[in-house]
Amino acid sequence: MKVRIKAFARFREIIGSENTLELDDGTSVLSALESLSEGSKDFRDACFDKEGAVASHVVLMINGKRISGRDREAGVLHDGDELAVFPPVAGG
Amino acid sequence: MIRLQKEDFEVGEFIEEAKSRRTGAIVTFIGIVRDDGIEGMELEAYHDVAEQELAVIRDEAMREFPLHSVDIIHRTGPLRVGDNIVLIVVSAGHRKEAFLGCEYVIDRLKQTVPIWKKEYRKDGEHWVEGEEKPGPTA
Repeated sequence: MKVRIKAFARFREIIGSENTLELDDGTSVLSALESLSEGSKDFRDACFDKEGAVASHVVLMINGKRISGRDREAGVLHDGDELAVFPPVAGG
Repeated sequence: MIRLQKEDFEVGEFIEEAKSRRTGAIVTFIGIVRDDGIEGMELEAYHDVAEQELAVIRDEAMREFPLHSVDIIHRTGPLRVGDNIVLIVVSAGHRKEAFLGCEYVIDRLKQTVPIWKKEYRKDGEHWVEGEEKPGPTA
């Protein structure tokens, strides 16, 4: 399946604004983020904490909806999903 | 009206548009690029999602307070000191709900709408720290 990864602010500067990943059906958010960080140590450092968990300050959305709690890692991605990764917002 | 745009906005036009025979108060908020040592800034947005979230905030404010209308215009792209960043125009029958509604909208906008600011200074550039606290994974 194909999943689009959108990145913003400093995450965009590291991996680019949009990546398409070819993943197995049922891949978790954590696995998708790990796939992205395989090619980029900077992305790994920005996205994960020292224990290898998704860092608490990273905001994640699937198809424009924030994901929270366990879904931040265990959430399952589906073909055509758009996973967005970004730092805390700072508009206004 | 809810809109993200690169262009500046004409505040007076939105105020006139918000007036009706029932209007007793219009409160506006304009966020402006402040000179605290920066040379300029760049605003980036998750465009479609930011507009959706602005619409959600407008609907929340209209439910929470007896308002007649809420307009939110937020700019993106490069801005200089003194430029407008965001305009919120809230109309209501009375001042109290107009003030409360306007404050609600700007406070929520800063918490949830996916927009980021990069500041350019003489000693380099950096992303402004956001106020959102997404919380731990567990």
